[in-house]
Amino acid sequence: MSIDWITVAAQIANFLVLVWLLKRFLYRPILDGIDAREAEITARMQEAAQQKAEAAAVEAEYQQKLRALHVAQSEMQEKVRKEAEAQRDALLAEAQQRMEHEHENWQAHLDDEARKYAARLHAAGADALLSLTRKALSDLADETLEARMAHQLVRKIRPMTEELRRAAGQAGAATITSRDPLPPKVQETLTADLTALFPGTSVGFETDTEQAPGLVLRMGGAQVAWSIDSYIDGLDALISDQLARGADLKVQGNGH
Amino acid sequence: MNLSPDQTIILHLWGVPINATIFYTWVVMALLTVVSMLITHNLRPDVPPNRWRTTLEVIVQGIQGQIEEIAQGPSRRLLYFSGTLFLFVAMSNLLLVVPGFEPPTSSLSTTTALAISVLIAVPLFGVSSRGVVGYLKTYLQPSFVMLPFNIISEFSRGISLAIRLYGNIMSGAVIAAILLGIAPFFFPVVMDVLGLLTGMIQAYIFAILATVYISSATAPRTRNQHDKDTP
Repeated sequence: MSIDWITVAAQIANFLVLVWLLKRFLYRPILDGIDAREAEITARMQEAAQQKAEAAAVEAEYQQKLRALHVAQSEMQEKVRKEAEAQRDALLAEAQQRMEHEHENWQAHLDDEARKYAARLHAAGADALLSLTRKALSDLADETLEARMAHQLVRKIRPMTEELRRAAGQAGAATITSRDPLPPKVQETLTADLTALFPGTSVGFETDTEQAPGLVLRMGGAQVAWSIDSYIDGLDALISDQLARGADLKVQGNGH
Repeated sequence: MNLSPDQTIILHLWGVPINATIFYTWVVMALLTVVSMLITHNLRPDVPPNRWRTTLEVIVQGIQGQIEEIAQGPSRRLLYFSGTLFLFVAMSNLLLVVPGFEPPTSSLSTTTALAISVLIAVPLFGVSSRGVVGYLKTYLQPSFVMLPFNIISEFSRGISLAIRLYGNIMSGAVIAAILLGIAPFFFPVVMDVLGLLTGMIQAYIFAILATVYISSATAPRTRNQHDKDTP
């Protein structure tokens, strides 16, 4: 057990060199690395906290936008619903109006058709009545319808001779209008009868296809007429009554 | 029987004889340095740490933790000194198991050199921390009467450090050599295991005592001083 002082000196030098070497190649790199890593971790944690805060802010903003979007969506849905209802009501009103208009048109057309039918029925009834009357008169009394109409007109004029004369004034002309031209014999008979009632009066004959079957006497501002309109109206009433009865019976039959 | 490796000449460099103590010290130094260089040469922040780097970090941080507990604060300079003491002694004692290796710590010259280093380091750290006057005042505490005792205490610390380490390591080596002669197949293995244990304990004790001595000579440290200490 002895101390070699040269070795001691060498070992002190060796130890100092080792301190420097380990400081250079071990402690400093390791500690600096740890410090750098700690700094990096701290920075990352701060960055993460910042990003988390930013994410929270973005999330809050997103939630707010989402809520606003939902509100806007509800408002838009409500608006669209109201518009749709308004449009539906408008379309329904338009359709109803159009339907009513068409119904009115149809009713007018129906009424027009009814009027035309009534007119045709009236004309046909008049023709039939005239024809039947003419045939009956011819067969039973050997008379013409025009002669009997002239006779009837004269009979109707006779009680009101004075009134007609006053109404005719100084004109001195009488015009007899018929739908069809009167036979000459009837014209002569009428001329003679009127001349007898109103002396000095000239008698003229005219035709009017629009006029109802019958005779019309015009003297100045006065007018006396005999037509078969009343008969034809009675015939129309009779036919309408029969048709109505037939319709009632049909309805009752269907009801049973 | 050769009790000290100082007397074993391994080689001559430019005519200078190199004994086993110095040679194996160089081996330990080379081993520590090369291993450190290999592990830390590509140490960059962008490279993830591997298991070797993690091992070194655990060792260095363990040493740093022990120093911070004793010195009441971080000090890189103290880490360089005490850590190197620990690693050198521990590695020397660990290599005891290698056949033919003679641990430098079994030489009284080595332990004396380490003790002298501690003896020199204590006033240096003290002066660096407290200033010359502040450090010298510690020898007069609690009163000037204690000055000779403080000086004796300072030197006896170094001597006790040196003798303790040398005695333990050398005795282990000597006992292993004796038992090798008596029972060559069993006892040496047990003694080697015991030698490893005592060697690690001695390394720890040596480094801890050195740290205690140095830190007792320095003022209590704070985190702010750590930045000033860092070179």
